[in-house]
Amino acid sequence: MTAAVGERRFNAVARSQVLLVLFMAVVLQLTVGAELRLFGVHPDLMLLVAVSGGLVGGEERGAMVGFTAGLLADLFLQAPFGLSALSFTIIGYAAGLFSGTIVRASWPMVFFGASLASAAGEILYALLGAGLGQSQMVSDRLGPIVGVVAVLNGVGALLVVPVMRWAIFPDTASGRRRW
Amino acid sequence: MAVRRPTRPRFVLLLLVLTAGTIITLGYRTQANGYVGKLKGYASDVFSPVQSGVLDVFRPVGSFFRGAFDYGSLRKQNATLKAELGSARRAGTAAASQQQELQALTQLEKLPFAPSLHQIAAEVVDTGFGNYQLTLELDRGSSAGVQVGMPVVSGGGLVGRVVQSNRSTSTVLLLTDPSSSIGVRDGSVIGVASGQGLGQALRVDYIFAPAKVTKGDVMVTSGLQGGLLPPGIPVGRINRVRDHTGDLQEEVNIAPLVDMNSLEFVDVLVWEPPSTLPGAG
Repeated sequence: MTAAVGERRFNAVARSQVLLVLFMAVVLQLTVGAELRLFGVHPDLMLLVAVSGGLVGGEERGAMVGFTAGLLADLFLQAPFGLSALSFTIIGYAAGLFSGTIVRASWPMVFFGASLASAAGEILYALLGAGLGQSQMVSDRLGPIVGVVAVLNGVGALLVVPVMRWAIFPDTASGRRRW
Repeated sequence: MAVRRPTRPRFVLLLLVLTAGTIITLGYRTQANGYVGKLKGYASDVFSPVQSGVLDVFRPVGSFFRGAFDYGSLRKQNATLKAELGSARRAGTAAASQQQELQALTQLEKLPFAPSLHQIAAEVVDTGFGNYQLTLELDRGSSAGVQVGMPVVSGGGLVGRVVQSNRSTSTVLLLTDPSSSIGVRDGSVIGVASGQGLGQALRVDYIFAPAKVTKGDVMVTSGLQGGLLPPGIPVGRINRVRDHTGDLQEEVNIAPLVDMNSLEFVDVLVWEPPSTLPGAG
């Protein structure tokens, strides 16, 4: 069953469900995400959706979900437009490389997988930003940002991964193992 | 079942990376008024009603847990009073610095002065969700006259500058953001104040030793810098002057007069940088 995961078509139902999840994520990020701060750091729900898309759907869908999530995030940020799209595409793809492991994994695997991918995503985002002339994005603030986002996204993945599974595989979600 | 094609995911990745690269390049070339600004405007139009709806539902819940039933309205009233007190204080500080600089300023021609500028009152909707930019979202946009580049003030002084103006909302880059730098002066001493992050003092560069600045002085916007900001808006109080023997520059830090963490109402100053200034832009 797992071997077939990467080959199943990303059909219209799945695409519209993923778009619905992305829309909800934007609303949550704009409201709860903007209000909530841990050590001065906001959660990064759009990155979490990109990572979960990869963990659940594989490299190709991870890249596609990451690109869309990043582009949506870019609409509300003052960083160079397209920066989140670029970094989330790469992270979605990279998270997808572990999808075969994560599909049958236990919840600690989901937690650490999402944590690690999110930390990598934040570092990649800041480095690409610095490369584009925003040198202030790599500062001593990067440590707390990476740490907080990694922990929050690890916990958040326990909720978002099942949601993404429902969105990407509408027909098989109920028959699948929870983690 | 289709035969697995391992090259397809890589092809999709390449395609999307190239697309993102193209978007970044186009965004750089067109800047704020191009298609990026318009797209952001549309996105704000679509999402801001949903956002304020959700916040209206959840904020009272939060307020309830924090205290009394009418906590929200009291807080609003308190903030309004604070803002009023602040603008009075600002006028006071500005008046003091005006006297100090009157002679210097009157020699310059047609420099508009901050307190005489028309103001647009706006409420802070949220602080934005980005971890790399310190911004505020305001509930007033281009329909109320807010334009990119206008200075934003509150309480005792400068808050930042408008960097994105949508139809009914706008985004302010705080002066504490590491990408923000503002021309400041204390008497005849001029420098550039750069943001160092939330809750941090601003670092003032290009003040050459021996400088005639003293701890406790209020630095105001210089109005130089190609006229990016009008002169005379109080920015911060000097809280550190360190002179390393042998160094060319003094190490000067200023603490912003405005507490960026608790802003609820701000004023946008209607100001357009004079485009005819030599060296502007």
